[in-house]
This record gives sequence, C-alpha cells and structure tokens, in this order.
Amino acid sequence: MVGAAIGPVAEVAVAVEPGATDAVSPDSAATEISYRARWSWDRVTWGTHCLNCLAACSYRVFGRDGKVAFEEQAGTIDPVAAGVPDVNPLGCQKGSAWSAQLSSEDRITHPLRRVGDRGSGSWEEISWDEALTEVADAVIDAIDEDGPETVVFEESVEGGLLAQAPFLRFAALLGAVTLDANGLVNDLPVGQHITFGKFSCASTVDDTFLSEALFLWHSNPGYTSIPYHHFITEARYRGAQVVVIAPDYNASAVNSDLFVPIRPGTDAALALSMCQVVLEEGLADLDFAMTQTDLGLLVRTDTGRYLRERDLRSGGAEDQFYLWDAGHGLREAPRATLDLEGLEPEPRGRFEVTLADGSVAEVTTVLALLEARLSDYRPELAGPVCGVSPSTIHRLAELAASRRSKILEGFNTPKYYHGDLMERAMCLLLGLTGNWGRPGTGIQGLALAGLDGYLLFSMKTRKGVEETARIMDGIDQAMAAAKRMDPDATDEMLGNQLLTMATSSGTSAPPVFFNYRHGGWRASWNRSEWSDPAMSKSFDDYLSEAVRRGWWGGIARPGSDQPPRVLFCVGTNPLRRARGGRGPLLSGLWPKLDKVVVVDFRMSTTALHADLVLPVAMQYERVNVQYPITHTLRLTFSDAATPPPGEARTEWWLFSALAKRISERATERDVVEYSDGRRQDRRLDLLGSQFDLDGTFASEEDVLDEWIRDSADAGTLPAGSSVDTLRREGSVRFTGLGMFSPGLSVAADVEANQVMTAFSWHVERSLPFPTLTRRAQFYIDHPWFIEADEHLPRHKEPPAMGGAGAFLLTSGHSRWTVHSVGMGNHRLLETHRGQPIVIISVPDAEGLGVADGDTVRVRNDHGAFVAMARITPRVRPGQLIVYNGFEPHMYPGWAGTNEVEPGMVKWLHLVGRYGHLRYLPFGWQPVPADRAVFVDVERAESAS
Amino acid sequence: MFTYSLAGLQLKEAETGPVEVEENETTARSGLYQVLARFFNPPDEDHYDRARDGLWAKEMAHAATLLPFAFEVGEAPLPEEVDPAGWVAEHDRVFEAGGAVLQESRKATDADAMVTEVRREYDYFGLGLDGAALPPDHLSTECDFMQYLAFKEAATTSDRLRTSFRRAQRDFLDHHLVGWVPTLVAEADAKEPIGPLSWALGRLDEFVRADHAYLSTLLAG
Repeated sequence: MVGAAIGPVAEVAVAVEPGATDAVSPDSAATEISYRARWSWDRVTWGTHCLNCLAACSYRVFGRDGKVAFEEQAGTIDPVAAGVPDVNPLGCQKGSAWSAQLSSEDRITHPLRRVGDRGSGSWEEISWDEALTEVADAVIDAIDEDGPETVVFEESVEGGLLAQAPFLRFAALLGAVTLDANGLVNDLPVGQHITFGKFSCASTVDDTFLSEALFLWHSNPGYTSIPYHHFITEARYRGAQVVVIAPDYNASAVNSDLFVPIRPGTDAALALSMCQVVLEEGLADLDFAMTQTDLGLLVRTDTGRYLRERDLRSGGAEDQFYLWDAGHGLREAPRATLDLEGLEPEPRGRFEVTLADGSVAEVTTVLALLEARLSDYRPELAGPVCGVSPSTIHRLAELAASRRSKILEGFNTPKYYHGDLMERAMCLLLGLTGNWGRPGTGIQGLALAGLDGYLLFSMKTRKGVEETARIMDGIDQAMAAAKRMDPDATDEMLGNQLLTMATSSGTSAPPVFFNYRHGGWRASWNRSEWSDPAMSKSFDDYLSEAVRRGWWGGIARPGSDQPPRVLFCVGTNPLRRARGGRGPLLSGLWPKLDKVVVVDFRMSTTALHADLVLPVAMQYERVNVQYPITHTLRLTFSDAATPPPGEARTEWWLFSALAKRISERATERDVVEYSDGRRQDRRLDLLGSQFDLDGTFASEEDVLDEWIRDSADAGTLPAGSSVDTLRREGSVRFTGLGMFSPGLSVAADVEANQVMTAFSWHVERSLPFPTLTRRAQFYIDHPWFIEADEHLPRHKEPPAMGGAGAFLLTSGHSRWTVHSVGMGNHRLLETHRGQPIVIISVPDAEGLGVADGDTVRVRNDHGAFVAMARITPRVRPGQLIVYNGFEPHMYPGWAGTNEVEPGMVKWLHLVGRYGHLRYLPFGWQPVPADRAVFVDVERAESAS
Repeated sequence: MFTYSLAGLQLKEAETGPVEVEENETTARSGLYQVLARFFNPPDEDHYDRARDGLWAKEMAHAATLLPFAFEVGEAPLPEEVDPAGWVAEHDRVFEAGGAVLQESRKATDADAMVTEVRREYDYFGLGLDGAALPPDHLSTECDFMQYLAFKEAATTSDRLRTSFRRAQRDFLDHHLVGWVPTLVAEADAKEPIGPLSWALGRLDEFVRADHAYLSTLLAG
C-alpha cells in the first residue's frame, strides 16, 4: 500500500493572493506541506512492542524511504461475543511513540567492549568477530574449569518470544542455569498459588464487561492497562459498581463509584473483615464454598493438621481428606471431582473420630476455624487497622456478596512481604461469595498459553509435522502413564507432573538460592529486625532446613561451590530491577564474574556496568510475536519494517553465531566433551549445529513459522496458520489454550464467539484444583505455616524493612514507560518531568519544608537516593511513591530507588514438596519484596 | 500397491515412512494429483505421445477408480492434425504469452511473498525445490505437493498425523488451488484450447473443488 494519511504531498498547495488579509503566509504553507509530508508513507507493516505490560496491541507501522515514519493503532480486531464490546483499538502512548525510540541516543549500534573499569563509561567498538570470540572463550573457560552451571542467564520477560527463545535454547544446549524470570521480577501472585495451586485465573479482558462489581485492588489500570481500561468504563456504564481500594487517590480512582483509601499494607485486614461480614450476615454462598473450597474439610484440633486417611488406618493415604456428612458422619472427600456426590457436609461443629491406634481425636471444619479467626476482624476491630470505616466495610461486603464480582488485581500485591496473606484473603472473599468460574468474576491472574509450537520447539530434532506428531504422541503416552499412576488426576495435574519432571532436567532455577549464595543478599535477609517477627530462627536456618529436607533438590543451582563465571543479561537490567540496589550485585556478585555480557538495544544501567555490550534489533526492526497470554487471546505479530541500525542483529542471529563460534573455538582448543551437573554428557563441537539444526532454522522467521504451524497442528491456532498468514492479518485469535499445563491451568474452553471465563471447568464441570486437597485451599497445614500462624489467612503488618523510618515507600508502574524500556524515548520523556520523582503528600511536604521541584534525599538503614519532590494532595500522609522504571543512571550518583529496598524474602515461601507448594518454572518460589519499605525523607540541601 | 512420484519437489531428507501402500481411496486422490501434476508440466515428446494415445485419460481413470466421491474422468482425443510441435505451440498459446498463466503468483499482489509462502509450506512437510525446473507456485508443483500430502495421509499409522496431513491438504486447497484454479481455467477456456487441454483443465477444476469439499466434510466429521 502506498499513500498518505492526509493527501499526496505534491497536491498540498496554498494560493496566496497579494493583498489578501486572511491569506496563508508562504511560511505557514511550507509548514503545512512539511507537516503533511511527515504523514506520508510508501510501506505498511504490522507491529507490536513485546513489552512486559503484556498487552498485545496491534499497530500499523508506516514506512517511508526504508525507515519507520510513524505508527497507528490498528483497531482491526473483530468483536468476539454479541453484546460485548470488542478490544479495539488496543494501544497506548508508549506503543504509539515506539518509533521515536528507534533512533534514540541510548541505542547501541555496535558491539562494545569495556576499556576502563567496570562502570567507568569507557568503551571501544569492536567487530562481531572479536565479540563472539571473546564471549566464546569465556564460556569455554567456565565450562572447562568449573562446569556449565557457572554460566548463568537471567530469564527475560521483556522483548517478546523471539528475544527470549534463542538464549533459552542456547542455555539448554550448554547445560547452563537460567534464573527464573518470575523469581527475578516478582510478578508471582503467591497467595493465589497457595489458594488455587496456580495463578492463572486469567479470563479474557472482555470478561470484565460482564462484571457487576469491580474491585480495583492493588491495581491502577488507568496507568498500567490503558488498552483494556475501556472495559471498566463500559461495565460501569452497564451498571457495574467500580470500587478502587488503594492508599492513594490514583488515576483509576477518578472514574470509580467508590474510592476506599486504605492504610498501606493492611489489605488482608480489610478483606478478612469483609469475609466476616459475609459470614455473619448470612450472605455467603455456602454451597459454592463447600464444594469449591476446603472449608468443609476436617482438621484435628490436637495437631492442627488435616485429618488424613493415614490417621485412621495404618498405611492410609497422605492425601485423602475427610468431611463430616450430616447424615452419615465421617466420609472421604471426593478427590476426582469437586462435586460432593450427594454428601451434605456439616459446615461447622466438633466431632470425634477413632484413629488408627484406637485413640479418639477431636476434629472440626476449616470453616469453623476460619470463623473463629475472623472474629478478630469484625469491622469495628479491623476498621482502625486498615483505616476503613466499619460502615464502608459492611457496604463493600454486601456489594461483593450480592453481585458478580471481580477483583482486578495487578502484580503489586505480591511485592509486599505479606502480599500472600492479602491475596489469600481476597480469594477467600471470592470463595465465600461464589465469585470465580462464572462470567464477570474471579481475580485477575496471568497465563502464558496457547502457543504450543513454542513449547514443542525445544524438543524438536527435525523440522516439520512428523516430528511434531512424534513429540505430541510421546507427551500423550507420558500423560497416559501418569494417569495410570494417579487415575483421579486431571490433565492439568498430570501436566504439572510432567513439567516437574522436565524441570528437574532443565535449566530453570529459582534465583533466591543464587542470590543468597552468590549475590550479596544473605546479610539483609538475616536482619531479623527487617523480617517477620514470627520467625523463630534465622533466615539462614530456615533456608538450610529447606535445602536439607530436599524441598528444592536439584533446582537450587548453581551450588555454593560453583560461583558463577559468566552472566548473560539478555534484555534484562538487574541493576535497575534488583531489590537491594547496587550493593548485592556490584559488591556481591560482580567480582565473581569473569564476564558480564549484556545483550540489549539500549544502554541500560546494567549495560553501563558490563564487560561486553552486544546490540540487538528493536521491534519494527525484526520479526517477533508478543508473549501469548489470555488477555486478548490473540497472537500478535510484529514485522521488520526497517533494518536494524549499524551492527545490531537479532538474538537468534547472535546466539546462533555464538554457538558456532564456541564450536570452532572448542575444537581449536581441544575442549570438546564435558558433563553437566546432572552427569549428562555434552559436546561443545556440536553446539553450533544443534542450535539451528544444521541450518534448518537459519533465521528467526523460520523459527516463528515452525511455532505457528506446530501450534495450528496442535489445534491452538486456526488450521493453516503460518507466519505468512500472520503477516497478512497482524494477529490471530487462539482456538485453544494448549496441551501443556500453563494453558490447562486456565481451566476454560476457548470458543470462537464467547468471552473466556477462567476456572469455568472447576465450577461447571467440578474439575478439582491442583492443590494438596484438590480444592481451593485456605488452610495450609504445613508445620511452618502453623508456626507462622498463617495456616489460615490473617493480617500481618509489613515488617520494618529498611528500619524505623517515618514514611512508607510504595511504588507501582508508571504511566509513561513499561519498566525502564521507554526511559530513553524523548517523546515519552516530554510527557512527564523527565527525571525520577518522589511523590509526597501536601501536609508531609509542609512539615518537611519541601516545595514541589525541590531535591530530596530518601534514606533508610539500607541505603539512600536523591530525586526531585513532587507534591500532591492525592498521596496520603506518611506515604511516598516512586514509580517503577527510572534508570539508576538518571539519579545522582546512579543510586536508584532500589538502594533503599532490602529485597527481603519471606521465609515461609521456602516451603517445598507440600502438595502444590513445590517449584514449577514461573511458579511457586520465594520472591523479593519491595513495597512498604520504611524510609525517612529530607531536603537534599539540608541532608548531612 | 501405490507409491508417490514427485515430478518437481524433492524430499529434503530420506523418507522415514513407507514408500508404498495398498491402494485405497486416499491413494486414489494422490494418484489424481499425480496425473494432474505431470499433465501440466511443460509438454515434451512423451507428453504429446500420451495425449495422442489417450493415455492421460486412461491414467486418470485408473487413478480415479477408488476415489471416495463421484468424479467423471471422460476423455478428449487429440486432433489428428496436431503434431508434437503443434502440441507445444498450443500449450504456449494457451498458457504463455497473453494467455492464462500456470503460476499462481502472477496474479498475486505480492508475488515474492506468495512464492515464499508456498516454499515454506513445502519446507514444513520436508520438501524442497533445489534445482527444480518449475517454480514453487507452478500448478504442477502445487499438484505435486497435494499428491505427496495425500500419500502421506494414506501411509501414516498415526491418527494424529493422518489428521495433520488431511488438514494440510484442505488448507492448501483453501489458500491456493481453490482460489486460483477457477480463474486459471476460465482464462484458459477463453482461449478455446484443443481437446486434451480443455479436458484436463475441466478435470482439474472439478477435482480440486470435489476434493476440497470431501476433505472439509471429513475434517468436520
């Protein structure tokens, strides 16, 4: 297509008659022509930005003279369900300004090698040949001397699948270690996982429209989900009540029916108080709760543990639980279904059972224990804790119980130390009110699903459909074998089992152990005054016990005796992201590393501290697809509209070339064979040919085409889909969620003309949850949870992370960038102050003598940073906000906000091998906290 | 027993499955495409001899014996006055300069993209065109591909692969042959080709439609 948005440039001519007073001046005519010329084009391609907002917005990218001229939201997606708004136009100002960043000043266009000290800012341009050889030799040295586990990659969630897949493939072939992305970024809703055994209550975004009450809780979609925000407005127009629960009057509160200002970190108290009202006032949907959840299961009052079959019979099962049927007394809780199959469990009461040894034990129900606990959260007691009036708590509880309610939760909650308790309480509210698995209900989660071809690819040794079938048949057989071992298990559970097995031989490792052993976090994590007061021993002791008991066996890599040698950061930026700031990394980890290799398109703070920086293409300069998630249920394509600048290359090219160079150098150096830590024999001389299967997958487009075709073959994309059909259409709706556990965990059907509601299989088909009890589980009878008094949801105040400062520092994602990716984009920088800001309330500012625009120092016992103060009445007194995304190099002394975040890890999350509390990639694992850090603030000029 | 015989496409790796199978309704479909692929190759002396002796119709009739749907083969004799050179000239008149074109991309808005697309399609199924005389989007090549897919459908013992191959045929017909063959035939018919050419074009048109309908029904069921 060739054209112009307004009209052909040549036709824009303005007549200027002499003497005409209202004539357009020649200057303005030229301006108009020039302006119109900006909006002309000679080529149109599809684009998306593969950012970690995880939106999959389809854009039209207009090119002129081989360069990108501008982009526009495409808005071409068909409506899905009758009477439900479509997702169009998708997009936001970040995506619409993407092209401005292609030529930004922080672009890296040539391989760079450090010539001064790390972080000195002195670089020399080198050739790819030199760069590849240097990296290859470092990798070979590390493998030869200390094993492949000393080559470590940070997993990435930025940049799209074709930025991620190449290094994951490379790492897998090496036998290296990849640090679990979710353990790094902490987008892990731990409380959802504790409750459901997963956090994939991830309906399509249009399900929001079907809600009757929307609770925007720990989320600010007005900033962070701009493409989807219209569904909230449309639901409200349809009659839904929109409630915003947040400490600050955020952008989303502006358009709500009810804004509930809450004291930071006390959300569990509020949610539990709502639960108390729901139960006390008889508003609970007990039929739903007794079938879907563990509230009817029996617990021994003497031990606090569930009553299990092994209690009743020698050799009995560890995972058979019990109910007390109104007519027949003690009965096994069904394991193969949530349906109670005619049982009428007593919700409350105390009963006696005879144990295997003949003794008698008292049991009661989880609900009875819960109600006892909730008595501490009556509105008049909880109100002062969370700062919400009892009458408002009543109102909120009645709203949730009387309407199809959905909690729109972001990934803010998990970043609180006790975010798990908050989420468990939120889930409890939904469980008591019948609010999941039905249209317009649930709690927002995340599921990477649908692109089966992506997951199959790593198993392929040949191209094509026959190889695909061979692998899928193998998976079917493995699933069938697992099913024979556990006939009651659902496909989701079997998928998890297979994933667990695969993990034990894969590269993925939870980063907590790496950071503890090789980073510099151990000292912080052992500071008891910054931790949970419920801990009866040191963090060291808990971690040692968890490791000793084998809860993390085989995946806590690399071991203490294997310090890392080479670190790859492919599109990741730990020096900005990592809680703890520079200290744990630059003082703890960096000195151990022979080589820090950053692969990026821009000079991030981490790149500034690297040994080698390797330039890669941005979106619009390469082919890519956004991560497939269920929000829009679409696979969205981004084409190469223009070549990458200078020597920038794609990640596929880079790691393919590196694999080949390693093979060459290994052969020259006679370092060919080695065994990895799992005693698997590997060969470096074959690495190059293994990477691209002897040239079969020469380009990333070849790879993408294979993923799409295999996905179509697996039935998750329309038959006949290919990279060519995607290139024509821009995006395509998934037809299924796939045969792997990430998709199965959504527990919902994909229908062509219907909104997808997560967890509908659990409600409509009574399929059990993948938890220990096979029900949504609110009672966790692990000894550590009992020790912490967290066997049931409760509220705990945020621990004094950082010290006894007078202010609580919270955060959130900014409106202006997705993490730090857009911080080099001048067009976006012009939409805000262009530098880091600390948001302070008016009364606090007055008390501190700080004016808007002043420079302030924020400090605590962990560190300090300096930034500009922004004074606003929308923040509550005692709260400070610094939005996520500013690069540390934008702060004086390159000391970013993370300098004051100790990055504490909740000890309880070291539990493993308890039912569903066991590691799966991107799932259950300890993650660092950064919200609700205690700090002090002062004017920088007066600071000592 | 039936085996496939590729006229232009080549296996990229040695065949790992059976190379011949008992004749059945699926090999019949493969056989039909095999005849069509060879017929629409540029004619040579052997091609002329077959036209003169009515062997094209006989081969097609033999191939069609076990077809799972009704398909009338018929025949059309070559006029006696047509010699080998005349046969080539007639082919050129109908399909070359100013006539219908046997390459799908000639009608595509983006010919390069279209050719890349079919190449990738072949590649996914293990076929290549290194050194082939005909381009990837030539009618003969596309029929060749259909022949191979139908054979693989007949040869596989895997239910999953059978469905995959069947779906691939339906999709290839959807995306390619069903779309452009009617136009090709109409344009060629406008040139009033002589008997065997007219006959083959008619058979091509009818078979592609019938096979597409058959596969769609099969997959829907």
